[in-house]
Formats: sequence, structure tokens, C-alpha cells
Amino acid sequence: MQISHTRIFQLQRLSAIGLVIFLTTHMVVAHYPPGHLDFSRVIERMAYPLWKGIDILLLASALVHAVTGMYMVITDVEKVGRYRQVLGWASIILFTVAFIYGTITILAFRLPAETVNLIP
Amino acid sequence: MATNGTTRTVTIRLQRFNPDVDKKPVMKEYTLEITSDTTILDALEQIKATQDGSLTFRRSCRHAICGSCAMNVNGRNTLVCNQRVNAHLDRKGAVTVRPLPYLPIIKDMVVDRTSFWEQYQRVKPWLVPPDDVPEKEFRMTPEEVAALNDAEKCIMCGACYSACTVTAVNKRYIGPHALLKASLRVLDPRDTITNERLIEISGNDGVFRCHTIFNCIDACPKKLNPTQAIETLRKLAQKREAFVAARKERQKSL
Ligand code: HEM
Ligand code: FES
Repeated sequence: MQISHTRIFQLQRLSAIGLVIFLTTHMVVAHYPPGHLDFSRVIERMAYPLWKGIDILLLASALVHAVTGMYMVITDVEKVGRYRQVLGWASIILFTVAFIYGTITILAFRLPAETVNLIP
Repeated sequence: MATNGTTRTVTIRLQRFNPDVDKKPVMKEYTLEITSDTTILDALEQIKATQDGSLTFRRSCRHAICGSCAMNVNGRNTLVCNQRVNAHLDRKGAVTVRPLPYLPIIKDMVVDRTSFWEQYQRVKPWLVPPDDVPEKEFRMTPEEVAALNDAEKCIMCGACYSACTVTAVNKRYIGPHALLKASLRVLDPRDTITNERLIEISGNDGVFRCHTIFNCIDACPKKLNPTQAIETLRKLAQKREAFVAARKERQKSL
């Protein structure tokens, strides 16, 4: 897989902008919300499709950013240069697997009413 | 500048390496008398003349213009001919001088600068003017000159090149010195191979490898700004076609 460096650079900067927005939102809402934090609040929020969408965008930004960043720093090393192709494919596979797995996890959140029935 | 007459004894710690004898570089200490005006290059000359004639280093102009005497002083790359020993002494009255890091050492302070020059050549550091050279001189606007950011003042000492962490691990990276020169040519309205230049500098070994850590700026004895030049080239590489078209338009009015 050979993506031009210009594209990788652009992807990394764009995803960094995504991170500024979504990571900030995530830290405020998920980690340091006003008042106390418990599972019922998380599940209530995660029931909204909008929050699922926001979390999927956070996931995508973080993965694109981390994968392009890792690719760039690893291929900086001259001796690794000849494995660029392999590393490119590895990055894309890593992204795809992690994105699908993360998305499934985010989509798994259900409304409390639906989950209550599952508790014996 | 007048010497104030007072002398003091200092320790000069030098990294020595003789490929015929040593397996790896060793540190050696030399004690000598200096005045407040003694430069680090003076100190090296003094050691060579009075203590060890085998000490090897490059120097020529002694006026910070030829770029031969770049070395690493107390961990920072600098020219040694315009730095006073006094200004670099640590608490124990010692200064440590090593050759430029991350380059193969030939002997003592002399490093192999082959990759430095190869990368420099790669960016075609010369101007490629239009075929039909006008009768009168080419005229650049003051703004166009200002945009060059003094890049023409580079003395090719290699301080930035050897301070860059990317060149440290990758000698195929074009490097701050050559990218600074490339920016000088790309921004020159007279140059006719802008497209080719921008393609070359945006490839695998080009501007997008830079991590913007400013080591090159820190090292430059002429206070130039290779990082800014790289940033400018990144912008132009991303709108290459529009920039090349504008350049052709501009050349009609040179
Ligand atoms: C608001 C948050 C963030 C911002 C604004 C941001 C911004 C940036 C920028 C601008 C670069 C390019 C640096 C360069 O020029 O080389 C970068 C590199 C990188 N980032 Fe982030 N980043 C953020 C969060 C993250 C997170 C959460 C991760 C890990 C998941 C991450 C992983 C990386 C990696 C691996 C690199 C490559 C290292 C390098 O190029 O030096 N970043 N980041
Ligand atoms: S001797 Fe010429 S720059 Fe130092």
C-alpha cells in the first residue's frame, strides 16, 4: 500500500483537529462530568444515536491519528524504509480491525429499558 | 576587541578518535590558560600547537563565514570560531567539545559529510532561470525578497543537519540544510523548475518527514529558520499546481 506522504500528513493533521474536538468532549462528558458518575448515566447517554455517532467519530479520529503517526515515525528509520509497503498494509488492517471492533462495542449500548430485562 | 589581560586556567574536554588506533571515541582532558577573548577554536589551536599535534579539526576563515568549524559544544551544535570558551564553562570550569553528532567520524572532530552534500545536490541548489534572459536585470519585489527569509545567508556548516533527529536515523532524508535551500529556489520568481522541485521535496524523504521539533533553528549559527522553510514548502507542495500556474503568470512580468 503506497499512500503519498502529502495525504498521510493531511490525514494526521485533520484527525488531530478531530481529536481536539472529540477528545475534549469525551474527557468532559465521559470522564469529568458535572456531578457524580455512574454506569446508569453512561448507559442513558449512550442510548442516544447522536452520542454513539460522536463516539464513533472519536474512535475514527484517534485510530487514523495513531496509525498515521506510528507509520510515519517507524518509517523515519532508514533501514525500515524498504518495508514501507508492508507497514502501509499493516496500518490499514490494524485500523479496520480496531475500528470494526470499537464500533461494535459502541453500538452494543442499549436503552436501560431493554437491558433491565436481561438482569435476572 | 581588547583583551582585559586576566587569564584563567580551564579544562577542555575533547572527544578523540583515531581510526588507526581506537575502536571507539574516547574523552580526553586538556588544561590550558585562556583569556576572556579566547574562542573555542583558539583553544583547539593552542592544544594542537602545545599539547598534542595530532588533534584534528576543520577550520578556515575564523570569522563564522566558511562553515568548516561546526562542532558540538556541551551538547549543542555551533561554530567554534565565534564562541568564547568563557561563555561555555560549566561549574567546574570545563567545556566539552565533540564532533557533529550522527555523522561518521573520520578523525577527532572531522566528520564525513558525504550524505550532507549528496542531499544538497539532490535539491538542485542552483537557480534555473528562463531561457530567454531579458536584456535588463530580473526584478523581484521587496515582498518576494522578504519571503526568502534570509535563506541565502546559509553557510553550509552542517550544524542543523547534524542536530536533526530525522537525519540521525535516516540519511535519505533531504535534511534541513537542503530543504532551506530548496525553499530559496522555490520561492524565487525567476526559477523555472518549481514543479519538479516541489515533487522532489514532497516525496518519501522530503518535508513531510519533519517533526517540527526546532532542533535546526536552535543549532543554526546564522539564526536562520529551516523549520519555517519546511512549513512553507509543505503548504506549497499541497497546492502545487496552482502555485506553478501562478509562477508562470509571474514570469511573464519579470
Ligand atoms: C488533542 C489531541 C491531539 C492533538 C492535537 C495531536 C496532534 C498531533 C500532531 C500535530 C502530530 C504531528 C507531529 C509531527 O509533526 O510529527 C501528532 C503526532 C502523533 N500523535 Fe497526536 N495529537 C493528539 C492526540 C493523540 C492521541 C490521543 C494519540 C494516540 C492515540 C496520538 C498519537 C500520535 C502519534 C503516534 C504521533 C506520531 C508521532 C510524531 O509524529 O512525532 N496523538 N499528533
Ligand atoms: S572557521 Fe570558518 S566558520 Fe568557523
